[in-house]
Amino acid sequence: MGFQCLKIESKDPRLDGIDSLSGTEIPLHYICRLANHAIHLVVFHERSGNYLWHGHLRLKGHMDRKFVPFRKLRFGRYPGAFDRPELQQITVDGLEVFIPKDPVHFLEEIPHSRFIECRYKEARAFLQQYLDDNTVEAMAFRKNAKELLQLAAKTLKKLGVRFWLSSGTCLGWYRQCNIIPYSKDVDLGIFIQDYKSDIISAFQDVGLPLKHKFGKVEDSLELSFQGKDDIKLDIFFFYEETDHMWNGGTQAKTGKKFKYLFPKFTLCWTEFVDMKIHVPCETIEYIEANYGKTWKIPVKTWDWKRSPPNVQPNGIWPISEWDEVIQLY
Amino acid sequence: MDDWKPSSLIKPFGARKKRSWYLTWKYKLANQRALRRFCQTGAVLFLLVTVIVNIKLILDTRRAISEANGDAEPEQDYDEALGRLEPSRRRGSGPRRVLDVEVYSSRSKVYVAVDGTTVLEDEAREQGRGIHVIVLNQATGHVMAKRVFDTYSPHEDEAMVLFLNMVAPGRVLICTVKDEGSFHLKDTAKALLRSLGSQAGPALGWRDTWAFVGRKGGPVLGEKHSKSPALSSWGDPVLLKTDVPLSSAEEAECHWADTELNRRRRRFCSKVEGYGSVCSCKDPTPIEFSPDPLPDNKVLNVPVAVIAGNRPNYLYRMLRSLLSAQGVSPQMITVFIDGYYEEPMDVVALFGLRGIQHTPISIKNARVSQHYKASLTATFNLFPEAKFAVVLEEDLDIAVDFFSFLSQSIHLLEEDDSLYCISAWNDQGYEHTAEDPALLYRVETMPGLGWVLRKSLYKEELEPKWPTPEKLWDWDMWMRMPEQRRGRECIIPDVSRSYHFGIVGLNMNGYFHEAYFKKHKFNTVPGVQLRNVDSLKKEAYEVEIHRLLSEAEVLDHSKNPCEDSFLPDTEGHTYVAFIRMEKDDDFTTWTQLAKCLHIWDLDVRGNHRGLWRLFRKKNHFLVVGVPASPYSVKKPPSITPIFLEPPPKEEGAPGAAEQT
Repeated sequence: MGFQCLKIESKDPRLDGIDSLSGTEIPLHYICRLANHAIHLVVFHERSGNYLWHGHLRLKGHMDRKFVPFRKLRFGRYPGAFDRPELQQITVDGLEVFIPKDPVHFLEEIPHSRFIECRYKEARAFLQQYLDDNTVEAMAFRKNAKELLQLAAKTLKKLGVRFWLSSGTCLGWYRQCNIIPYSKDVDLGIFIQDYKSDIISAFQDVGLPLKHKFGKVEDSLELSFQGKDDIKLDIFFFYEETDHMWNGGTQAKTGKKFKYLFPKFTLCWTEFVDMKIHVPCETIEYIEANYGKTWKIPVKTWDWKRSPPNVQPNGIWPISEWDEVIQLY
Repeated sequence: MDDWKPSSLIKPFGARKKRSWYLTWKYKLANQRALRRFCQTGAVLFLLVTVIVNIKLILDTRRAISEANGDAEPEQDYDEALGRLEPSRRRGSGPRRVLDVEVYSSRSKVYVAVDGTTVLEDEAREQGRGIHVIVLNQATGHVMAKRVFDTYSPHEDEAMVLFLNMVAPGRVLICTVKDEGSFHLKDTAKALLRSLGSQAGPALGWRDTWAFVGRKGGPVLGEKHSKSPALSSWGDPVLLKTDVPLSSAEEAECHWADTELNRRRRRFCSKVEGYGSVCSCKDPTPIEFSPDPLPDNKVLNVPVAVIAGNRPNYLYRMLRSLLSAQGVSPQMITVFIDGYYEEPMDVVALFGLRGIQHTPISIKNARVSQHYKASLTATFNLFPEAKFAVVLEEDLDIAVDFFSFLSQSIHLLEEDDSLYCISAWNDQGYEHTAEDPALLYRVETMPGLGWVLRKSLYKEELEPKWPTPEKLWDWDMWMRMPEQRRGRECIIPDVSRSYHFGIVGLNMNGYFHEAYFKKHKFNTVPGVQLRNVDSLKKEAYEVEIHRLLSEAEVLDHSKNPCEDSFLPDTEGHTYVAFIRMEKDDDFTTWTQLAKCLHIWDLDVRGNHRGLWRLFRKKNHFLVVGVPASPYSVKKPPSITPIFLEPPPKEEGAPGAAEQT
């Protein structure tokens, strides 16, 4: 038909998680041009976690960099993840095409669709050095933590609240692409501006009662829900300052306040325990702020009051407020 | 003037001091204007040139860096660069028109070198005995096949004849003997060697050494032979060096019609030999099969994982049968190869299927189990929507109604939690003990050999605790353990839908195959309608068993159960016999019975709550273990359960049983 086409292929990332499997490459993008027009065909692949993934548009050495103005393309700067849309067939200009049933939702996802892959190679290296814990307790914990995380994700998604993996859960993803067996709880982060008052009741409704609530919306808010088998779901609310982010902590006994400082970050999608979930795009800075440069070394006894390098004492709650800011159940 | 005295400030004019050679040279030069000018200009020019070259270098490097970065992606993906490096093994089509071949034959070592590259070298002790055969592509010199036939042992010469007959005419054949290759080299093989033009091959004697280079159907290119002087000694080592003229590419290839299939065929046939008529010029075997579509195919979207190693000729046979099965979806098939072997990948590419190679981890059976784990995880990653996966091995023939069988039974795996798997293999289904292709059983074992795995079982239970690489366990033995199986059962057909033909393998050998696999019954009837599938659910099966037992005629327990006369000469009846089974794990009598009936007796398979079901003389034969089986209540009080005593343990009785 006279089109000139360019095909971008790469290794299948779905095989990356497994020890050195190499298969054929999968197509990621096709760009076809004719005169002054170009068609950019983005190939979406299904991945575990019920989402669609598309790859990064990276030109190999011999490809023509002037083929089309690549910088103007909407897709391809980063790999992207999208909820699987249901499609409907419509007619446009006499052509029958498929579009998502909810085109607005799909278009809204595009600017926030950036996806980062888990570091499987580094995770394998880590597990070779520090052998993975395969005891029954570890496996049971992983199973329960995964279920808890999925339940929390479903609940928050229904409320429309954005969240990401924080603290120990984030470290587990970054360091070993899996849940750390001795981490004892599941940690999530939510921007305080995304807070909704129905979060607590929504979790209650799915069987996760509130265990404690520290702080208040204006300052150092922190929620903790009780899951099955003694696993907690900790939600840390992040506050934004001009040049950094922080979340608060409270020591129930003494009313002492703590502040954990983080450099500013944006959210990216990733795949973790068969789910599409957010993590900070600038993960290494986030991890290092929370765990220091020695995050690669497993530490089984972590004191959240003293161990993190980014912790700062932040004063103390006035006793008059204790009823409001320290609620234990 | 008389009063002029030399000034003390001025040095007296005396003999000139020895001036430094530099100063001498400098002044000398300084006095020659032209030379000075010239040097100065030269120096300035040199400086200019250096500066220009440096600037150019900087600009070039910067451009190269920015090009390599592409779309502002900071990380360099060196894997990408590696991927682009195609290992070019093919000889260039340059002026080389001759191959320099060296062949060495001796008692303990053989080697073959082509143009200086060693393509075969075997000096390991206690292995590689016999005739080594290498087939080279006559246009490129590329090694197309490498085989060894232990013609000291029986039947290997027949295999060699078969192989050599399948090699395309014109191919370069290289033969070399290691240790001994004549003892069972019979007339047919010798005649074949004679037809290749060999003089020494047909006359090969005890412990002779022999090296041969020739063409299939064409002339001998070189031969060397050394007779062994005495029975107790070997022939001298011989080293044969010849030049093999290369033919043109067109002469080496067939001229098939230019279709996509034939392009695949051509790629395959120019790389690999030993696959017979698929590469035949005149009448090539088809590589695409159009089996009948399966109406209402419930397994159309179930991924199929073929777990393969390095037995490409087995893989070839297996894939042919798989692709001929009714209802197969080729795009759902993935072949997982344990190791970076070329020939199995070539076979996969021949059939246009997807192949994935796996870096092998660990050793022996642990290597196999790690390969299974990687393959199963990858399968569920590549097909995230799938709720099941079909697991096959490369040494199985697949029945034509394999997918039809699965399509009719898969809903059981979905609806009944007490099921562990569906398998196409009946451990006790031999030619004399299996009759009814429409019949299904529930059994307390996991037979493997063509089975369906539920994704939730794998992801939630098996994958998290799959044996780690240092545990030398068989993956299937591990899966059969009570900690994994947890009292669940598998559905099997009476007549197996897979046939295990592998003779060579980690746990296989010829004798094992003859004894336990050769006479296995295999279904060849297409489109079998399974009978009463829903009666295989947990409670419904018990109802069915009770019905069967009520209708079954009780046999005469005074007769010997091993004899054929134990059952009357009828057909289509149902009989029941009661054997002694003290406890749930007392299989003494059963094992003896299995032994004398020549069915699987290496461990206990096929039982369901102390009940075995099979066929004898085309009658349905039920065996109930009393009193351990809950079906013991059906035993008439007058009947004494049969007890078969194991023979007294002899010296050197076999130890733990080997499983596939």
